[in-house]
Amino acid sequence: MKKSYLFIAASAALLTFSCKSKIDPDTPSAGSADFSVYVAMGNSLTAGFADGSLYRSGQENSYPNMLAGQFKLVGGGDFKQPLLPGESGWPIAPAAGRLPKRVLDLVTDCKGVTSLGPKLYSGVPDTAGSATNIAAGGPYNNVGIPGIRCIDYDVAGYGLANPYAGRFFSSPMQRPLDAALQPVPTFFTLWLGANDVLGYATAGGEGANGGINLTDISPLPAFTATYNKVVGAIVTSGRSPKGVLINIPDVTTIPYFTTINPKGLVLDATQAAQLSAAYAPLGISFTAGANYFIIEDEAAPGNLRQIKAGEYLLITTPGDSLKCGGWGSMKPIPKQYVLDASEVSNVKTATAAFNQVIADNANKYGLALMDANTYLKSLQSGVTWNGVTYTPAFVTGGAFSLDGIHLTPRGYALVANEIIRVANQTYRSSIPDVDVNKYSGVRFP
Amino acid sequence: MKKICTLTATALVASSMAFGGSFQLNLQGIRQTAMGGTGVAWPWDASTIFFNPGGLSRLNGIQAYGSVNIVTPNVKYVQTPTGGYSASSETHTTTPFAVYVGGPIKKGSKIGIGLGIYTPFGNKLDWGNSWTGRYVVESISLQSFFFQPTVSYAVNDMISVGAGFVYARGTVDITKAVPVQDINGNDGQAKLKGGANGYGFNVGVQIKATDDLQFGISYRSKVNMKVNEGDATFTVPGSLAGNFPNTTFDSKLPLPEILTVGLGYKFTSDLMVQADVVFAGWKTYDSLSFDFAENKAVQDTHDPRSYKNTVAFRLGAHYQIADQFAIMAGGAYDPTPTRDNLLSPDAVDGNRLTLSCGATYQPLPRLSIMAALNYTTTPRRDVTYDPANFRGAYQIKSLLPAIGISYTF
Repeated sequence: MKKSYLFIAASAALLTFSCKSKIDPDTPSAGSADFSVYVAMGNSLTAGFADGSLYRSGQENSYPNMLAGQFKLVGGGDFKQPLLPGESGWPIAPAAGRLPKRVLDLVTDCKGVTSLGPKLYSGVPDTAGSATNIAAGGPYNNVGIPGIRCIDYDVAGYGLANPYAGRFFSSPMQRPLDAALQPVPTFFTLWLGANDVLGYATAGGEGANGGINLTDISPLPAFTATYNKVVGAIVTSGRSPKGVLINIPDVTTIPYFTTINPKGLVLDATQAAQLSAAYAPLGISFTAGANYFIIEDEAAPGNLRQIKAGEYLLITTPGDSLKCGGWGSMKPIPKQYVLDASEVSNVKTATAAFNQVIADNANKYGLALMDANTYLKSLQSGVTWNGVTYTPAFVTGGAFSLDGIHLTPRGYALVANEIIRVANQTYRSSIPDVDVNKYSGVRFP
Repeated sequence: MKKICTLTATALVASSMAFGGSFQLNLQGIRQTAMGGTGVAWPWDASTIFFNPGGLSRLNGIQAYGSVNIVTPNVKYVQTPTGGYSASSETHTTTPFAVYVGGPIKKGSKIGIGLGIYTPFGNKLDWGNSWTGRYVVESISLQSFFFQPTVSYAVNDMISVGAGFVYARGTVDITKAVPVQDINGNDGQAKLKGGANGYGFNVGVQIKATDDLQFGISYRSKVNMKVNEGDATFTVPGSLAGNFPNTTFDSKLPLPEILTVGLGYKFTSDLMVQADVVFAGWKTYDSLSFDFAENKAVQDTHDPRSYKNTVAFRLGAHYQIADQFAIMAGGAYDPTPTRDNLLSPDAVDGNRLTLSCGATYQPLPRLSIMAALNYTTTPRRDVTYDPANFRGAYQIKSLLPAIGISYTF
């Protein structure tokens, strides 16, 4: 029986093997960059704007805050954001076009059809205290300012004109650039310039191509001068920071412009015949099925024509007017809701020129460049991350929030990961990806 | 904004119900499990119905045999290339079993008959509903039962042959998150549950070259497990319920053909060593598809798997310590059929290294009590699952005890 001890010994030997896996993730490294003081500069996208407004959880889910969380794994420090107290969106001033955030809800249209759509947040606004200046709690690491353009970045007194900036600027005459450099960054991201074309585009291209009004496309010389000055000032600031420049997306790929199908006038044979008869003097005819909407165009005979492929209807076009008010069929859709071919061309040309300025600066200073223009275009064919596929489709695509311009927390997480990718590439760091699925997409009732 | 039903929401990359490489269970006999999974050349007991039906006519009489395995694998996931995220599968125990009855129809007969019921494929893996891969899989449970009536014929003193017909039943139960979140941020859920069945066969030849040297070869056919009208149940925010109707689904997965060649040699009257080489035709597992009866938000899915054929090597030894008592030990190397770019977290696998041991005790000449212990591990494996763009490293560890009993009439 003595030999049976052999068996017991063999069994004991097997039991001493670990039954639990002990593998661990590899440790990230900072590479050649120093992430200890990270400052995020930019506009609403950087501030965490979403669903048409700025609110606290949107700020908490801003891509800079996500990046700061990852940077902490490689020596990053605290990341202060000028957080709002409430969730309703701020400021709320309907007369000035400032509305609370949108939420998804069932909406009944003029035809009595109920479907899911964005609706203004209808709870009691929790904006008390939002306007209080909180500079004393700073300096802030996230200095993203909704609405700011590149050409505003060097303007003293900007905080007087923009309530988002005024909230956290330490003096009324501070320049946005001053607020950005106040924490003395060791690392920065700069996503600036989208509003230098977006204001023109969201106003239906009715502003000037080369002007300084909010609905104009910024003049290229002013853009270039300011952008060069801003980047030069950042890289020569106290701690000679490294960073990532992020360029301007192609606004015509975002749902604000792509959600309403220009060929969305669906007619039966009788309606088509009636409209064809009515428009016969202008040589416009309709067929049963899908037709291009009628739009206002001062250059066309009768001041109207059919919209063409490659032209866009803004998401703000009143849906009930299209469905029940005869817009796009009996009457032309007003031009401020239309981005026509020449306006699209103005936007694209300016975007390309501005992006060249951004690329030149990245080259000049050896900074990383995140090509948001290309990345957001790649969404069109779907970007899959950990089992979820994101597209630019409004509501259902998961990446864009309910205003059709800004992103959902998951959309921002995708952007954060693309920034991490280029930063890792440029600075030979190995910062891990943000867990996109930890955040929310569009929330459904 | 029209209809949310355009929500193609890769919502349901309803991937994965692989009875994958990792789901092949080589646990059909205690002695064989203790000897690294070897057993094609030697008719140890009634479990030869599975290992080589040709051996059935060589048993000493009709035998009843039962065994059960306690399977509690630990699978760990870590984020790659760097990170702070890791996840371990929740521990669930499954108990694959085998029951055999069979042997020569009467003493000295050349004809043996038998029936085997065993569980050659199965798995239970539960990552929980909050882990980062939840849209690929939260939990998966696969079970299979093979019923195999078998006949065997001893052609002469050297050669015996056998064949069995296989009827397979299985169940599949998969849960995964659906990427539509309610107002509180909770994910939708999908549950796919169904029964499957299929047919196959099993043939084998055993050659007793000398009293001390035996050869064996067995072939188990591919079994195509078909799921007809499984139940797909969705839990989604109320406003989307109409786009995610509960429906049924069809699917199928092929269980591969397996060819085993082996030999056993008695070095002394007490010490016997056997070795098997096992070819598995995993290449047949090319893709996994789910066909839903009603497609609204949920589209049919077709996920590539592209498994590779594998050849595994197994070695075992049996030492008779006393008349009533024997010990066994063995080891095996099982390369994975999976590819580095198509490894889904619902079918984690790697090249498996197995060590095993066991013992038998015969209190009565007709009665055997058997026990085995099997330790299996895979090295850390850095992989991606490209269809879901899901990346990570995995390791599997498993310590598996098994017990069994047999009685010869």
